[in-house]
Amino acid sequence: MAITHTNRSNQDDTRDGRLFAPCRARCPIHVDVPGYLAAIAEGRFMDALEIILARNPLPSVCGRVCLRPCEDGCRRCLLDEPVAIAALKRAAADTGVYPAPRLARRIPGRIAIVGGGPAGLTAAHDLAALGLSVSIYEDKPRLGGMLRYGIPNYRLPDYALDRDIEYVLSHGIEAHTGVRIGRDITIEELSAQYDAVLVTVGLQDSRALPIPGADKPRVLKALPFLEACANGESMDLGARVVVIGGGNVAMDVARAARRHHAKEVRVVCLESRDTMPAAAHEIHDAEMEGITVHCSWGPREITGENMVEGLRAVRCERVFDLERRFAPVFDEETVNEFAADTIIFAIGQGPDIDELGLPVTFRNSIMVDPVDLKTSVAGVYAAGDIINGPTKIIDAIASGHRAAASIFRDLTGHGDTLESLDQESAVLGRVPDTMAAKVETRRRIQMERLEHWDAILNFDEVELGYTEFEASREAQRCLSCTAGARLAVEKCASCLTCTRVCPHGAACLNMGGYLYFEVEACHACGACVSQCPAQAINLETVSEEDLSRRVQRKLADRGMDTSLVFSCGHVPDTLIEAGVDFRAVQVSCLLRVSERSVFEALEEGASRIVFTRCTEGDCRFPHAQDLVNKRIRHIRKMLSEAEMSEAFLVTTAPDEHFTTEVDTP
Amino acid sequence: MIVVRQKPLDEICAMIAGHRSVLLVGCNTCAAVSLAGGETEVDTLLQLLRLTNKRHGMFIELSPAVLQRQCEPEYIECLQEGAYDAVLSLGCGAGVALLASTVGKPVYPALDTLFIGSAKGLARWQAECSACGQCVLGMTAGICPITRCAKGILNGPCGGVSDGTCELGDRPCAWVEIYERLDSLGCAKKFDTILAPKDNTTRQICEWDMSEGCDEK
Amino acid sequence: MSLSNAFGAGRFAITSEVGPPKGTDVAEMLATAEMLRGRVDALNVTDNQAAVMRLSTLAACVHLKNAGFDPVLQVTCRDRNRLALQSDLLGAASFGITNVLALTGDHVSVGDHPSARAVFDLESVQLLEVIRLLSAGVDAAGKELHGSPEFLVGAVVTPEARPLRPQMAKFAKKVSAGASFFQTQAVYDPESFKRFMENARQFEVKVMVGVVVLRSAGMARFMNKNIPGILVPDSIIDALESSSDPQATGIELTARFIDEVRDYCDGVHIMAVGAEHLVFEVLDAAGLTEGCIA
Ligand SMILES: Cc1cc2nc3c(=O)[nH]c(=O)nc-3n(C[C@H](O)[C@H](O)[C@H](O)COP(=O)(O)OP(=O)(O)OC[C@H]3O[C@@H](n4cnc5c(N)ncnc54)[C@H](O)[C@@H]3O)c2cc1C
Ligand code: SF4
Ligand code: SF4
Ligand code: SF4
Ligand code: SF4
Repeated sequence: MAITHTNRSNQDDTRDGRLFAPCRARCPIHVDVPGYLAAIAEGRFMDALEIILARNPLPSVCGRVCLRPCEDGCRRCLLDEPVAIAALKRAAADTGVYPAPRLARRIPGRIAIVGGGPAGLTAAHDLAALGLSVSIYEDKPRLGGMLRYGIPNYRLPDYALDRDIEYVLSHGIEAHTGVRIGRDITIEELSAQYDAVLVTVGLQDSRALPIPGADKPRVLKALPFLEACANGESMDLGARVVVIGGGNVAMDVARAARRHHAKEVRVVCLESRDTMPAAAHEIHDAEMEGITVHCSWGPREITGENMVEGLRAVRCERVFDLERRFAPVFDEETVNEFAADTIIFAIGQGPDIDELGLPVTFRNSIMVDPVDLKTSVAGVYAAGDIINGPTKIIDAIASGHRAAASIFRDLTGHGDTLESLDQESAVLGRVPDTMAAKVETRRRIQMERLEHWDAILNFDEVELGYTEFEASREAQRCLSCTAGARLAVEKCASCLTCTRVCPHGAACLNMGGYLYFEVEACHACGACVSQCPAQAINLETVSEEDLSRRVQRKLADRGMDTSLVFSCGHVPDTLIEAGVDFRAVQVSCLLRVSERSVFEALEEGASRIVFTRCTEGDCRFPHAQDLVNKRIRHIRKMLSEAEMSEAFLVTTAPDEHFTTEVDTP
Repeated sequence: MIVVRQKPLDEICAMIAGHRSVLLVGCNTCAAVSLAGGETEVDTLLQLLRLTNKRHGMFIELSPAVLQRQCEPEYIECLQEGAYDAVLSLGCGAGVALLASTVGKPVYPALDTLFIGSAKGLARWQAECSACGQCVLGMTAGICPITRCAKGILNGPCGGVSDGTCELGDRPCAWVEIYERLDSLGCAKKFDTILAPKDNTTRQICEWDMSEGCDEK
Repeated sequence: MSLSNAFGAGRFAITSEVGPPKGTDVAEMLATAEMLRGRVDALNVTDNQAAVMRLSTLAACVHLKNAGFDPVLQVTCRDRNRLALQSDLLGAASFGITNVLALTGDHVSVGDHPSARAVFDLESVQLLEVIRLLSAGVDAAGKELHGSPEFLVGAVVTPEARPLRPQMAKFAKKVSAGASFFQTQAVYDPESFKRFMENARQFEVKVMVGVVVLRSAGMARFMNKNIPGILVPDSIIDALESSSDPQATGIELTARFIDEVRDYCDGVHIMAVGAEHLVFEVLDAAGLTEGCIA
């Protein structure tokens, strides 16, 4: 009578009528966010990592520097603050152990990938996992693209990047670094050797303005400057640096310059404060590091005799015209001069692909079909920034997936994956008021980070990551949107227990008397699941089978006197101090633990079951406390009938002593 | 719906002691709705019995099954043949009885059948009907005096009522409720009709055939 | 002399009660009755009172009858179905017992055999109707009787029941089912009793006010808490509390109460609850000495 259980990590997204949590919907690669957050909430970092890796081969990178479109959509935004989705991805990557690659049977087909940035790495990963032979050709000495040579180490250190790259390469990918395609080997030559060629060369040209004085020494461009930083070169920038540009790259450049001992770093940009393209938190961090931002100035001239002395700029009154086209308007009368010893242009990146000889668009990017990413040259595909323009890592990854799916289809005839990428999906609506009223307001847990004055001393990573405990707590803020109760109508006995038990009114009857679950209202607390007499409800986040497997796994190596602890928070120290031999299964709420789970653990040989409860202030589902108490009473009653009362204890984490049984009110 | 509850564990243990292999059979209708005979309860009882047997050094092979409804022969036919030598039914008395007349093996009740009742919120039920075969609810504003009145009397509250509570102290006085509801419905007059002693022959109906009529004495 | 004579003569009737023994020894019961000889019109004999099993009422009534008293046979519906009830009633009539008091009876679960099956095949109203049928010469199934009883049929009513309206409605039903006299639950507040009587006077029935002599404030409180339909006012509890001899005060209060309501009703039923020796003290104090013969 078992219900078919959906294994989250291999979830089949091609099934009809998929409904996504907004975070997942906004993620360009639709990572199963609620799924991995639920795993982290229960301390299952490995599971979380596997769920992420099923869609994103670069979790360590994205956990740090993804621009996180998901968080803007988080349904908690309207309640308090979005869940720290990206930071939790980092926690999974940092805490979990990368699994051995899962490889399909080898099939014939060789693919060359030009460029080892996120787009190229993703495509390589996918194709290799599907059983094809993949070689990456990379101009630079090391793989990573902008992740290595663009984004500074204080945001994305090498070790964090290398974890992901190692994982990708473990799929049996050949990497040829220091080979520049177009110069060392031509595209035609590659095409001749390989069944498909994928071009993911990114945007390597760093733009500058052709203003007077731009040819002076100590007038630099962003990318070469950042590359030098990445290579650990020491530079003398002088005391005063002016960075031209208002985007994230300008902030990176300014903060990197600060780390090269520039005392005074100014960012000068065309845009006004609220139209600056840089993310607000990037600007904030820059300012905290002592950088000043000067908005609405249009550079006119780099002044100075031989050396740079400053930047002369005029007031910029408007950047875009009414049709949002770039058409700056200046007030030439209002002039300012910014003193500088070094000036760095950070006004954008462009393609550098003349050598490749591929057909280009009017913007000089490679021309492709947006669906299958084919260029007009047979067997040659392109993906990443070189077709998208300057976007973000996660778009490059999405593009890499698409290219891989397209190549796979063309080589094998299997087009499912490619089609599924374009499948429609519905997005879960906002949190209904009834539910909002019952969700505890809780701010995001702040990650520990270097103090700003320490941070600017070197390129050490600034954000230090969550501890496991913090990560679980933060993940518990997630509302598990769309990942809650699922009804198996054919099993339902129509007892309506679920409608009575649900603290959020998610189990409802329609006018015809049919039961349904209001996905928008479900908080995935599990109250209904463990009470349903017909086992007709399953929780997407943790199915009954999942829980049972976890219990079995935990008790596999039990001793003579091993306790099994079910805990919704932290296992109390007293338990550890008392020297009790125990295995802990963390659950998002004790409500999730049914009588069945308890008895199963006893049958598996646990000599005692311990429920460690959260304290009231910590409780994630305070409206379910009553139900937890009832459950505890019921378990007690059943065990006492079986004369096994001593096999069940309830404690409160963290202060209550292990042996003191807390009586439920 | 028929409301049931699980018997004390030791009573169940005593019944199945001595069998080698017992099939636990749930009922996905009333017993499940009573949260006593669904798949979940079958599983938990099975686990609990296994734990108890193990502690007593006994071994009885236990296996689970759930029928859509135990009081229908066709559903019982869905039961797999098996090596079990006894059945523990998690159904109401009707289920136990039909199983017992069908499976050709000893069938034991794991539940006690309490009453025909209605739901009063989460895991709570109220007795509403005693299947007396001669419904008087039309005279009593829908409150069954046979069931809700501790004495099952027919002509108004006895002297035991105090402050609207029954002499037994465990329930509101049914007759006070009847009076008040009749009154609020504007038909307090109905109360004045003296209801004749109940025709108890309807309680002896033991079979009902819609086309033939029942076997009334 | 008897209850029916008292009613017939329009005299203020006086009854008290005796409980059959748990066992076969009726000597004490008879001794108690003896104390009341000449002071009351009739003696109620309780029927497994409070659902505690005792010697049968019918047997006890026969003993009293033989000793020259006029017994009132209390009949409850708890222990017997309609067959047993009728046959006992016929039996009683055959012994010359002429007074019956029809009651529903306490539930078995309040007594000493709580797991017994409670019968309640009939209840008080239906029992009254059955008695009427018997008196008319047929049984409840419509079958003719050879020789039929003649009973003075009584029932009970609780004047201070809460809520009151269903109680009064049932009172009316009992009247129409043939009750000709009523004993009330114990009452303490004369005003509320008078109000009840105003209502009761619409029916042509005799009403005997019920009294229980209070012996202490504790007893009063206990009754307020545990006996349905009894309401001892605070003023009485206070009087008992501040009294140096609460029993005497209780007797005095009872006598004063009887005195105050006697013009409004047709008699008094004194429930002794284990203190039968107080009954005549109450009667003395209330000046009830005239013509009570048994
Ligand atoms: C300074 C900076 C900071 C950024 N910060 C963020 C951020 O915080 N978050 C975010 O989401 N995005 C950020 N981005 C954007 C992000 O880095 C890019 O969108 C992403 O790297 C594009 O990936 P790609 O694989 O298409 O190209 P790239 O990452 O540029 O990789 C292309 C690779 O191809 C190689 N290559 C080029 N030409 C050849 C050739 N002819 N032969 C062989 N190899 C070649 C290059 O050396 C490079 O390794 C940032 C970009 C920059 C420049
Ligand atoms: S609450 Fe959780 S599942 Fe819902 S949108 Fe936010 S991160 Fe996604
Ligand atoms: S608790 Fe289970 S059986 Fe009962 S109505 Fe809900 S889904 Fe159906
Ligand atoms: S009880 Fe919990 S899991 Fe079930 S529907 Fe309600 S919120 Fe969702
Ligand atoms: S008090 Fe009411 S419910 Fe209780 S036995 Fe008397 S009439 Fe019935």
